[in-house]
Amino acid sequence: MMDRFALAFREQQQLFLYDKTFLVQTLCTVGGLATLSGRFFVQFFWSPILALVITLGLLGLGAWLLWVSLREKRTQWQLLPLCLIPFVFLAASLSENAMHFSELTAWLIALAALYAYTRIRSYKWVWGILLTVIVYLAAGPAALLFALCAAIIGLWKKEWASAVLLPVALLCGLGAWLLGWVPTLEVAWTPSFYYDLDASMPAAHWIPWVLLPLTVLGCCLVKGPGWKKQSAFAVGTAMLAICLTPAFRLAKKAEDRQPGLTYEYEYYTVNEDWDGLIKACLQNEWIPHTAQYLNLALAWKGTLLDQMFQYDQRGPDGLIKMSDDRGVETSQAHIMFAMGNMAAAQDVAFNTLYSTEGFCPAMLKINAQVELMRGAYGVADKYLSLLEKAPHYRKWAQEQKHFLYNDEAVEADPLLGNGRRSWPKLEGFSMFESPLDELMRVIDANPGNSRGMEYALAYLLLAKDIKSVTGVVSRYYGLPGLLSLPAPVQEAVLFYSEYTRNVSGADVLGPDWCRMHGVTEETFQRFQQFQDASVKSGGKAPKGYKSSYWYYLLYKQI
Amino acid sequence: MRKLIYILLSGAFLFCACSGAIEPSGTLDSLPPIEPDYSFVTVPRNIAPLNFSYTGSEPCALQVDGQTIRGKNGLFSFSPRLWKKLMEKDQVEMTVLVQQDGAWKAYRPFTLTVKEEIDPYLSYRLIPPGYQGWQKMGIYQRNLTDYGQEAILTNDLTGGNCMNCHTTAGGNPSKSVFHVRAAFGGTMLIDGDHIEKLNTKTDSTISALVYPYWHPSENYIAFSVNKTLQAFYNHDPNRIEVYDQASDVVVYDVRKHEIAWSPLTKREDRFETFPTFSPDGKWLYFCSAQAVAEMPKEHREVRYGLYRIAFNPEDMSFGEELECLYDAPAEGHSVSFPRVSPDGRFLCFTRHGYGNFSIWHHDADLWMLDLETLEKWPLEAANSPDTDSFHSWSSNGRWMVFSSRRGDGLYTRPYFTYIDENGVAAKPFLLPQQDPNAYYKRLMDSYNLPAFMNAPLEMPKHKIVKEIRNDPKTCFLRSPVARNVP
Repeated sequence: MMDRFALAFREQQQLFLYDKTFLVQTLCTVGGLATLSGRFFVQFFWSPILALVITLGLLGLGAWLLWVSLREKRTQWQLLPLCLIPFVFLAASLSENAMHFSELTAWLIALAALYAYTRIRSYKWVWGILLTVIVYLAAGPAALLFALCAAIIGLWKKEWASAVLLPVALLCGLGAWLLGWVPTLEVAWTPSFYYDLDASMPAAHWIPWVLLPLTVLGCCLVKGPGWKKQSAFAVGTAMLAICLTPAFRLAKKAEDRQPGLTYEYEYYTVNEDWDGLIKACLQNEWIPHTAQYLNLALAWKGTLLDQMFQYDQRGPDGLIKMSDDRGVETSQAHIMFAMGNMAAAQDVAFNTLYSTEGFCPAMLKINAQVELMRGAYGVADKYLSLLEKAPHYRKWAQEQKHFLYNDEAVEADPLLGNGRRSWPKLEGFSMFESPLDELMRVIDANPGNSRGMEYALAYLLLAKDIKSVTGVVSRYYGLPGLLSLPAPVQEAVLFYSEYTRNVSGADVLGPDWCRMHGVTEETFQRFQQFQDASVKSGGKAPKGYKSSYWYYLLYKQI
Repeated sequence: MRKLIYILLSGAFLFCACSGAIEPSGTLDSLPPIEPDYSFVTVPRNIAPLNFSYTGSEPCALQVDGQTIRGKNGLFSFSPRLWKKLMEKDQVEMTVLVQQDGAWKAYRPFTLTVKEEIDPYLSYRLIPPGYQGWQKMGIYQRNLTDYGQEAILTNDLTGGNCMNCHTTAGGNPSKSVFHVRAAFGGTMLIDGDHIEKLNTKTDSTISALVYPYWHPSENYIAFSVNKTLQAFYNHDPNRIEVYDQASDVVVYDVRKHEIAWSPLTKREDRFETFPTFSPDGKWLYFCSAQAVAEMPKEHREVRYGLYRIAFNPEDMSFGEELECLYDAPAEGHSVSFPRVSPDGRFLCFTRHGYGNFSIWHHDADLWMLDLETLEKWPLEAANSPDTDSFHSWSSNGRWMVFSSRRGDGLYTRPYFTYIDENGVAAKPFLLPQQDPNAYYKRLMDSYNLPAFMNAPLEMPKHKIVKEIRNDPKTCFLRSPVARNVP
């Protein structure tokens, strides 16, 4: 029901800071305690397993709090299955990342208050009102849940004064709206408070909110004298079982509303687990997005050109595709950064830095590194100091701080130095032209940018532009970024050489030129074999060459 | 018992924060490294305490007016009482002491010069300095006499949209205007306790109304209409270029919901922008550049000069001639953000190499123009090697607030400079905070469009939000007209 990678992605939508200002500012908002505690737990979601364990643990804690609030004796275990029902749907609600984790922590605060309320014996309505206000301030509209549940319990026990709690909670919401703490009364009174404020909340998120008071009512009924423990337990368990299917369906629908693949790919990318990323990509069907991540992993492993045709490739969109909206796709920032197109990487990384719950740590890291490359140390220091306040990123940030105001260290660092050398010399606007044009400017500035070189050649190979491949080889072969020719490039060069021999008017690139530019004898032999095999197969794709560039060039539709 | 503990704790605190005099055993022949650099700045009498930090690592203390303030992690915090006392003087001398090898040494003292009061409030937008994303932004007001900041409106209340160009009529917040973009888009006009949302796009203008400036009568607002685009440089240190593909200047009648323009402010062959009225309301100043054929390809060729045209507030008509006050393009420069001093004598503008969006140009500096002699000069003491741009006059004409990137080169911060009767600026000071170093380092937003206000805006947020979420219902621009004085 809960996608562990979707949970882990929550960690990339915030930065929990051990910083007085951050803590105070967050606490001093309506629902601040729920927000802060939610973000506190989410900071550990860098591990998907830990994310799952924490989430399930908190959901379980919520069910337990509900049970201890409703039971009158320790032995009323028959209520437990019923108590689990709302939390099954709450789990489904949390399957969508647009629903903030603070929904769960707000529930816990409301349920803790409910437990306290059920244990109060004197001046109950006074305490109830006080608790309602406190819960509203600390957890937001979950106070309405508290008030409703407390009212149901109270009214069941003929404590009529408890009916006042719901109007108090509604008044709290009204006050929050009048004070400008929330945008609308809908947000002040409903679960949409915990949903992305710039999106419309699907009605399915209401289900756990409706089920919680119904569960309280149900528990009040089944703990009455008319019910045997065993039959109450059986009915509760049956209802729980019945609820599981719709809850799973809701979770699935919630997951469908979000880019699930991206969560998994992003997890491996931000953790630089390139083998994991390749494995994840191979488990899914080819779409440009998947291919981009696969090729990104190959690029960071330094094997993009060597290995890319061992996998399904269908054109340059599988390498990078410019999106019209630079504010949403973190993948673009990762790819541009890998290419060495640092301006474009920063443009996207800055626009995706501000996530719904704070700052995206991966994008902040890219921004910090690009500032180091720029030599904008004041800004880099700002970003690194922020990351330093988040325990999971502290060590990395401290290591990067070593580069501050130290040009020599930056230039000597393989990543930062390469980035600094890759700023284009020819001025222009980033992401105005095709990714290839920008990449060529990067390589022009820094022919030693081997990853950029790989990307440029890969782009040309995927676009089947073998003439330009030959042009790049002619210009850069022997320079630090292209000391030897990977097999697919050799194959492209050789094919183009053969083509020029057969087309009148073309500048012929003879075998000697090919040999001088890195094409090996082994490739010559294989090309001859490929040609023979092609003749034999009567125009069909010859067997045994599927991972060759010749196969891609001649037989793959793009 | 509890009382005793309080007394002891208070005593200990006082001892740590403000203790008896320290006699330095030696001197250091330099000014102390302090952040923000408040040495030799000129400050208004009513400004909040200018706390600052000694950036060295040694134990430190500050001697001022016979009192010693111990630095807490380098930070010197003034008590409100002491600060008030200091601000009663015309000049305040401060000496930073540091403990080196067990001995206290004194840096060279520096002074603060205290001058006339400043308007008590500042409005500004806090927004990430970027590039296109605006997940969170807001328009805020800050009490300059203390550290209190309050949100006028934040975009988490309005669907995460963009809001900009908040402008008051002569610093009066009960007459103000700002735009809301994207979701719930429109122009919000605040008039006393009334707020209305306007749809200001007409068939005759190239866009909705953009950069505003109120007429002193409060009956008109001059606006530019712009087709603006933004691009990110692939290496240029300016990082971002904001440029117009077309722009004009128009005037909006607040009472009649009518816009008008002169053919001279709405020319096909020119880009007109950044309008501003003279304090007597009889002149409309703006920037104008020769249009180029292809943008952004030729964006570095676009240079704006400073112009003015007569304006008659009686019938909303314009003069027949355009007067060029500063032909900046002829000198290879461009000007933006003209702002006339309240006494009408000076005009302060930003000068830079090209284009109009000077806030992204590191070469942008503040310049002053004497409107009587047309003599111009840079505000040398106020300018820095980095961007110094958008500025606004205080109501008494003695202070100016402007945006500068001098801190870290990216995040703009508001600086205040004193302008003397000859239009010469004094060394500016950064907007004070309780712990400015920590505050500004932590702040991930830029200050945008800082402007003085004589009081806080009192309108409840929910009222503004409710109107923003409504459809524009009031402004049906009536027959846009081109008018010239006959």
